Parts: sequence; structure tokens; C-alpha cells
Amino acid sequence: MTRSARLAAQGLAVALVVGLLALLIWRVANDSNKGVSQALRDGQHPTAPAFDLSRLDGRGRIDLASLRGKKPIVLDFWASWCVPCIHESKRLEAARKQYGNRVAFIGVDTKDFSGDARSWQRKHGITYPSVHDGSGGVLTKWGGLPIPRIFFVARSGKVVGELVVEEDLPRYLRQIAAS
Amino acid sequence: MRPLIFLLVAALLAVPVARASERHPTLNELEGEVMCPVCGTTLDQSSSPAAQQIKRVIASRIAAGDTKSQIKNQLVAEYGDAILAAPEHKGFGLLAWWLPIAGIIAAAVIVGAGAWRWSRHREPLLAGPPLDPALEARLNDELRRFDD
Repeated sequence: MTRSARLAAQGLAVALVVGLLALLIWRVANDSNKGVSQALRDGQHPTAPAFDLSRLDGRGRIDLASLRGKKPIVLDFWASWCVPCIHESKRLEAARKQYGNRVAFIGVDTKDFSGDARSWQRKHGITYPSVHDGSGGVLTKWGGLPIPRIFFVARSGKVVGELVVEEDLPRYLRQIAAS
Repeated sequence: MRPLIFLLVAALLAVPVARASERHPTLNELEGEVMCPVCGTTLDQSSSPAAQQIKRVIASRIAAGDTKSQIKNQLVAEYGDAILAAPEHKGFGLLAWWLPIAGIIAAAVIVGAGAWRWSRHREPLLAGPPLDPALEARLNDELRRFDD
């Protein structure tokens, strides 16, 4: 190998290593995948990340972005193996009777087996529509585990808040219903 | 030659075992090949409710007579590719299987070629001037005495 060819090969190898290192630093510094939950904790109100997923009941799909500007949304991340989800979903079901005509209630069944999820809905009397997010890809964008996670989205598409304590449910429902 | 025959026999014996495993999978083996979607471990290392749910589904599919591929396909359809502990031997998954092997072969070729070039270009050992015959005779005597 000639001296110039050897120098070129060494330069290429060094450039490759430096490039990969720069990519890693950039990825860590600009981690945009913090999730909606973290953004809310940071005092921001991000636009709800869009999804287009199949409904659990087989009646087509739900495209979250299509509701933007039309209806406020309550988004409930749940799974049939999640014990606390039963209580929260039942509270949402009850709230739906009061707000159902003004607010869209949507469940996101995540990291779950769809057959078990349908049985779970029947067993606990949950009637608001749910989509199936088997891989948990949508959940990750909203903040990841643990579940249940319940978010409130204003008519404009901005996420107003996440349910942390029980009192948040009536408070946020009133807020988004008026949006 | 003998190791080659041994490898060939081992490979031939492995084929019927793999076929039996494909047709009649056990819960134990699938627990080691399927991930728990909420814990980041395989099912056999988790007792979380999500893992228990998948174990129940796998057990019911085995009882229904499904093959290993059918069960895995059903799990992938529900949870996505990440539910499998190892990528499948097809499509893009092949890259994960063959890339490391290709890397090892490439590294071996590079190291081998380097060693070959290094051995060819090595400077020959410098031969010194011939010894004085008297000194050589004395050295031989010393060595002989040392051997005795």
C-alpha cells in the first residue's frame, strides 16, 4: 500500500469514528423523544402526537389528528393486565355520561393481547372506543410505562394536562370541555 | 478430517430435533424466545402480569396444536417484532444474524493479510562476519565441556 493510500485509509477511519461520536452526542443532546408527560412536567403544552391505529372492536381506525379543531379528547392508556387501569377506566366511563357529547373519550390498549383486551372491556363495562397499540410505540411518545396514563387534549390539539390525582379528572374535563 | 465428520453428524442430528421443536413447541422453550413487553427480559425471567398473560396465550396456542412459527407470528402481529428475543431468520432480520459473522470473517482476512505482508517484508537476520577459527575452536571446546 502506498503512503498516500495508507494516509487516506487512516483519515477515513478517523473520520468515521469522529462522525459516529458526533452522532451519539447530538442524539443525547437533542433527545426529542422525551414524551408528552415529561413536556407537561417541564411546563410545556405540546401538540398531541398523532396516531392512526385500528380500533379494538374492529370498526375501522381512529386518526387522532383528524379530531384536531373538532373535539377535545380524553386519552386513556390501559392494558388488560394492568390492575389500576380498571378503576381509572371505570371513572372515565362514568364521566363520559356527563361529557360524552362534548368530549371524545379514546382508550389506547397498549402492550396487550387484543383478545384479552376486548374481554376486559366487556367484563368491566367500558364502552368508549379503544385502539390497539400492541408494540407500545404510541405509549412511548406520550411518556411510556407505567400505566394507566390519562391525558387531556384541548380542542386546539394542545395537551392540557395529565391525570395525577383524582381531582384532576373533573378539573381537566371542565377545562377542555370549555376549550 | 475427524472434527469435520463430527460436525456433519451433529448437524444431521440437529435437523430432526429442530423439526420436532417447530411442530411441537413447549412453553419452556418459547418462554426463552419471547420478550416480556414491559420488563425488557424474556418471559422466563419475568413474573409480571403482562408476562403471565403472554404465557397463558402461548400455553393455549400450544394446546390448540399451533406450530412454533404460528405462535410467534401471532405474537408479532399483536406486539410487533420487538416481542421476539432474537430477530427472525428472514428479511431484514437476516442482517442481524449475518452481519457479525461477515464482520468476523472480514477482520480475520484483514489480520491474516497484514500478518502475511509483515512476514514477507521482515528484514533478514544480519549475518555477522565469520568467526576466527581459533575462537571458534575455543567456543566448541567450552560448549562440549558444558554439555559434559
